[in-house]
Amino acid sequence: MTVSTGLQATVDVAHEAGSSRTGPRVDGADLRVGAGVPLRLALLVERDQRNIASAHAVALGANADVVLALATTSQASVIDRATALRDARPDAVLAVADRGDARGLVELIEALRLGCGDRPRSISLLVAADESARARLAASAGPIDVEAIPAPTGARAREAIVARLRAMRRGDADVVLRDEAIEAAARAIAAATSLSALVIDVDGATTSLAFALPDGGLTAVHSQIGIGSGADRVVARAGVERVRRWIPRPIDAPALLDRVFNRARWPEAVPTGVLALALEMALARESVAHVLREAGRAGLDLASLRNAHRVVATGRLARFPRVAQTALVAVDALATEVTQLLSRERHDALIVAGAIATRSTAPIADAIEDIALVTAVRPKRDTSLTVIDANGTIAERVARGAFFLIPTSGAARLELPGSAGRHAAGPLALGVIVDARGRPLELPQRDAERIPTIARWSAAIAALPIDGGAL
Amino acid sequence: MIWRYGAWTAAHPLPLGSVEYAPAGRPVRAGDVIAAGTTYGQPVRVAAARRLGVAPADLARVMHVPPGAQVERGAIIARTGRRFARAVSAPIDGRLAHVRADGDIELAPVLDRWTVRSTLDGVVRSSDTSEVVVEGLAWGLQGLAGYGPNAIGGLALAVTGPSDELQPSRIDVRQRGRILIGGGRSGAEGISRAHACGVSAVVAGSVPASGLRVVFGDEAGAHGAVSRSDAPTFLCLLGFGTGRLPAELFAPLAALDGARAAIHSATARLFVFAPPDAVNVGAVAPSLALLAEWGATRPLDGPAALSGDVTFPSEITAPAVMVDDGPIPAANVLSLGAPRD
Repeated sequence: MTVSTGLQATVDVAHEAGSSRTGPRVDGADLRVGAGVPLRLALLVERDQRNIASAHAVALGANADVVLALATTSQASVIDRATALRDARPDAVLAVADRGDARGLVELIEALRLGCGDRPRSISLLVAADESARARLAASAGPIDVEAIPAPTGARAREAIVARLRAMRRGDADVVLRDEAIEAAARAIAAATSLSALVIDVDGATTSLAFALPDGGLTAVHSQIGIGSGADRVVARAGVERVRRWIPRPIDAPALLDRVFNRARWPEAVPTGVLALALEMALARESVAHVLREAGRAGLDLASLRNAHRVVATGRLARFPRVAQTALVAVDALATEVTQLLSRERHDALIVAGAIATRSTAPIADAIEDIALVTAVRPKRDTSLTVIDANGTIAERVARGAFFLIPTSGAARLELPGSAGRHAAGPLALGVIVDARGRPLELPQRDAERIPTIARWSAAIAALPIDGGAL
Repeated sequence: MIWRYGAWTAAHPLPLGSVEYAPAGRPVRAGDVIAAGTTYGQPVRVAAARRLGVAPADLARVMHVPPGAQVERGAIIARTGRRFARAVSAPIDGRLAHVRADGDIELAPVLDRWTVRSTLDGVVRSSDTSEVVVEGLAWGLQGLAGYGPNAIGGLALAVTGPSDELQPSRIDVRQRGRILIGGGRSGAEGISRAHACGVSAVVAGSVPASGLRVVFGDEAGAHGAVSRSDAPTFLCLLGFGTGRLPAELFAPLAALDGARAAIHSATARLFVFAPPDAVNVGAVAPSLALLAEWGATRPLDGPAALSGDVTFPSEITAPAVMVDDGPIPAANVLSLGAPRD
């Protein structure tokens, strides 16, 4: 008897140094997943706040590096603007005009021609404006070719612009961009589970959040920051103190900066000690938190992202040595306000499935493992919740500020008091994580209070090999 | 990150306001001016086409001076007609910085002049108002990250050994115009004092990242920070924090003491203009290890052997390299020439 096992794609996933291959072929790969070419994007926007937000949303969706944002409201002269554009060396420029009034944008395009018009072939100018305004802008652009795009205020228009910008990043037609694979994976999970799904990918150079609804709706944000070569950019954008506050031992900012900078220039460096591992976790938290802040500034619906029913961690975030480390970082960074099922990908499996899903259908069930049911509660006074698993029923009291883990065995069910409802999950690697720390999650300022607090949270779910608060 | 004698290419982007640049094919030496231009002040907008009553597209036809030209106040910029002439004259001294699509002219006063100097001995391969690319032969050392503007000067050894830190007390005005070799490490004080004394640049194995941010601003990252302003130039060869230069790197630097050199900041390269046989460099690149929980780099110069998987205190299990003071993850050991991006 002959049994067909079907065709299985071989996929190469690029990492900081080298790549990993999944699939039966040894001679080559059917698909390659990579970060693509970095795209330096300048934004030229009219005065309307919605234009500014929607342009930023496009940049986040396309994983473009916004090197300059100029608004018509600024009082800078054409010389200052041209100098800024020349120094920014953009690969692409996204210009968004107000309806029926492109006068302000003409000034910015004139500055673009003055600053970058002597290398017109190396710039793509994408213009969202009505036809008459576009003609005026094209005249001002001179030798720089103008490409018409729809106004990025709607989701579909944004998708079209993102696709255009991604084509610039792709370089090679065979390459599936990592952010495309993550988005396809989020859609596949949402479709398979009929629940909203958020995929959080933190890798060496990029951080992505892709939120998908069962009906196919998608909100995705990507940024060129990470816990490897993008680590120094986390510090530059979020600030060194925001990273330092998560380290459960005293460390001064200069010593932390040296480690961050060395990590940024050492591909695939392995953390040998707990301090370096804690630093990786801190960078991952702040990478996700920064992308969330950027999404908020771009006018995207943050509440939906934070409160997805299902959260899946991928990339280096999913490859911490302890599963509890992935959980702790995701819980701290996302700061959800509901109950959600937290999972992580098996080594690169979800990225591979997502890459295949960009071309056909791909099963995702085997690509992820469930870690924990995370429930965020804000009790006004002590309350209790019930966890039912293969070993029986556990009732736990929850005080304000509590953070703890209820280990489970086999399928688990969580029952919350009142109308908060019931939540069920299959076997979980950790169990049920109860988070009553309140929102926004605030850390004490002084080291003497902050360090024991961080150590206590880590110890609560055995996230770090620490004893008595000392690393 | 290892010495190589050969052909190198260096691109020199030009600021706004270019007046002249070296044509392709012209031989140049490091330090030669390959482009010059002016910096502009607040521009004045002159309604040229409208005042002359011509279409914007026809303005070029009636202009008496070309875009980019420098004019004095009152000079005729454009003029039409013979008997009933209409003319546009310059309201200020300045340069015709830009002709707008609507036929207006941006006339900008000249505040200052800038020059761009070659960082290579060689030939101009291509040039235009945006960039001049020079190609030439030199000893080249690929560093990790460059900070500040390009620099040219003679190499000067400011330390006695590869582990030494550049001491600010060893820097004085006699080293003006030189590129100082700072050994294993240079702090922010050393870099700042060198700049204050007129030193062209400092090259060292490592530097404290916080010191870099003090000198070059918070935007200075691990991948360098190039500027055109009057800032110090620093070339970091190995990493951040503490470090020591491998002998294979330091010995040629010491041997080339006094030679003409240049730093191309954007590519983090040191070029030294010396004969091909000026130094002997080994064929095998030394290995560099990331140690102290990522806080330091050190060349691996003792006995080292690959071992199987080792579980580290972080609980990560990874292939290791065994050295005298214990295992190091194999991923934390790189050849000095390995890509670090």
